Amino acid sequence: MSAAARKLCMLGDFGVGKTSLVSRFVRSTFSEKYLTTVGVKVDSKEIALPGRAPCKLVIWDIAGRSHLDALNMTYLRGASALLLVADGTRERSLHSALNLLMQSRSLLPDAVVVVAVNKIDLVEQWEVAPTALVELRRTLPVFETSARTGEGVEAAFAEIATRLAA
Amino acid sequence: MQTAEPGNGEFAGEGPSASDLDRLKELLVGEELGALDAMQARIAHLDRKQHELPARLPDAIEDAQVGEGSARMAQALAQPVTQALGAAVRENRQIIVDVLFPVIGPAIRKAIAEALRNLVADLNGAIESSLSVRGMRWRIEAWRTGVPYAQIVLKHTLTYRIDHVFLIERESGLVLDRQSAPGLEELDADAIAGMLTAIGEFVHDSVGRGGGNTLDSARVGEHVLWVLQGPRANLACFIHGVPPTGLHAVLEQRLEEIHTHLGDVGDGGGIDDAWRNSLRPDQLARAASEAEAESPRRTATARWPLLLIMLAVLGLLTWFFVRNERWNANVEALRARLSAHPGFLLTGIDERGRDALIVRGLLDPDAQPLDVSAGSTVPVQLSAAGYVSTDDAVIARRAHRLLAAPPSVQVVVRDGVLGLDGRADASWIEAAHEHAAWIAGVRDVRIAVTPSVDEAALARERFDALVKSIPLLRVTFVRDLEPVAGVEATVDQVARDAREAAELAKGIGKRIEWIAVGTNDDPGSASINARLRGDRARWLAEALSARGVANVRSAGDAEFDVAAIRQRGAFLRAALREAQP
Repeated sequence: MSAAARKLCMLGDFGVGKTSLVSRFVRSTFSEKYLTTVGVKVDSKEIALPGRAPCKLVIWDIAGRSHLDALNMTYLRGASALLLVADGTRERSLHSALNLLMQSRSLLPDAVVVVAVNKIDLVEQWEVAPTALVELRRTLPVFETSARTGEGVEAAFAEIATRLAA
Repeated sequence: MQTAEPGNGEFAGEGPSASDLDRLKELLVGEELGALDAMQARIAHLDRKQHELPARLPDAIEDAQVGEGSARMAQALAQPVTQALGAAVRENRQIIVDVLFPVIGPAIRKAIAEALRNLVADLNGAIESSLSVRGMRWRIEAWRTGVPYAQIVLKHTLTYRIDHVFLIERESGLVLDRQSAPGLEELDADAIAGMLTAIGEFVHDSVGRGGGNTLDSARVGEHVLWVLQGPRANLACFIHGVPPTGLHAVLEQRLEEIHTHLGDVGDGGGIDDAWRNSLRPDQLARAASEAEAESPRRTATARWPLLLIMLAVLGLLTWFFVRNERWNANVEALRARLSAHPGFLLTGIDERGRDALIVRGLLDPDAQPLDVSAGSTVPVQLSAAGYVSTDDAVIARRAHRLLAAPPSVQVVVRDGVLGLDGRADASWIEAAHEHAAWIAGVRDVRIAVTPSVDEAALARERFDALVKSIPLLRVTFVRDLEPVAGVEATVDQVARDAREAAELAKGIGKRIEWIAVGTNDDPGSASINARLRGDRARWLAEALSARGVANVRSAGDAEFDVAAIRQRGAFLRAALREAQP
């Protein structure tokens, strides 16, 4: 039998690198134009877990925005996990990601949540303070990623798969 | 239980004891306290009954159904139940939909199937009336095999293939099951199902907001996508070609059946193998085919209308063929006749339907009159322009007209050569020589006309000569009435000349009477000589009459003075008168 498929939604402000992270992680089936037309693009990837059955992530890359409207909420339905993406060079994007998390909690109270603070390759330009990340790690798993170099990308998705399989 | 307590301002100093206060209260409000205790006991009783109400309510309702209470109970509950149902639909629509789905689905399917059956019946009626070659071929196949015509049409027109079937969890868009036809390229089913769900939500949110409108189907070229909506799962079917309507019903049935089993399946667990197999494209196609076959067959198409139509068509074709052949024969006969007419150049025959003909051509004015309608069964109209024909017959008529040829001249044209023969006045001959070569169509001229003489004058001259010469032919006698030898030759000569003169007299307008005159010599008495002259005149008249000379009589003795003639003989002379007109 094939791996169990779980729905993962990417949330984050515009321009934080959600689509780039997905592109780094999977080979896309659909064009990115769906992001500007339908508002979402769906891809999937199967992740092998050591000692466990593989987990297939069906990744819904939802068009970036700072709040969730009705259509975005329908896209979130049935999701098992959320990957909150923030841009390390824009501290406000981290606040937007956490705000999106608070909005989605009413619909997805039990979803696995992982935070990816992107653009670690531009760490010298980061506005997000390390202390803030330390504080955030007390409640959520946080990964510093770079869609450009691939750093932390696989680890972030693997963390989600591991938590979903747990 | 409330108790009367003293206010902060009352009994501020050393107050009475409690028993005193109770006694005082009893004195002041004892009666009210008793009523209050009774009311409290009643309230406690009502509280107990209220707590017991849920347990007793079913029995109470059942008791109310007995007798006349049934109608009263229904009347009492009508309003609150209606309001409660309305509130439930507004606030818990999904639950209501989930509950009603197994009931509504078959009902809707049945209604749609009935509507489609009627539609197909109407379509069948329309198709049956068609007389296309393909329709006739299919009709013959239906007639031959006994299969309804509509089914034959469907068999030939509906070719399809189910490529993929996705059972998609409605909420998450995750694939619960997926079946594909063998040989197709592998695809990311989860991504496709996710996008399909997202697009469905997008369409619903964009154009179907506030209603139950959903993305049910889409078509791209020859590919059709059907999305069947269920409470918990959707069934998406990718089809190549034109699927039969029965397939949709099968998919609806599968989705409903799967929903009855989805409750036993955990999240993401999919469905068991039996239901998975039921979604295989080949299984679905087979089920659709069986559904089509099991649908109530229409009464076999009656054959006699087809036979009647074929006979009618055959008769019509035969009639048309015969009529056409006859018409063509008439036209060809007319064409041959007109083409052979000298002086007419046929340029075309126009048909005005089958009612009239218009003959178009060029007609020489010197041609024989042309009767285009002769022998034709339909009116024939001639539309001709003039021209000059070089046909020999027409040239001859033209020459005859232009030269004013007398009857004694024969006009003949052969290969454009004009020949004039006969007799004519010298003046006409001279004019013919001058004008004949200028006649249109004449290539050469051969004139062999001799100048003509005056026949009447000749005849008159000959007549006069005969009239003069005949009396000179004398028949002589030896004695009395005894002719001299060889007198027969003289009489024959006289008879010949007399007959010729009589013939010529007719041509010159004279009427002639022949008079035989007798003569004698000197001897003899006068009376004897007179008798002899009379006898000899009669002898000659009789001899000439015997030789075919008409209108001969013997002369009387006093008619002519023959004294100067002293000869025993007789002669013939003519008495002339103008002929009566």
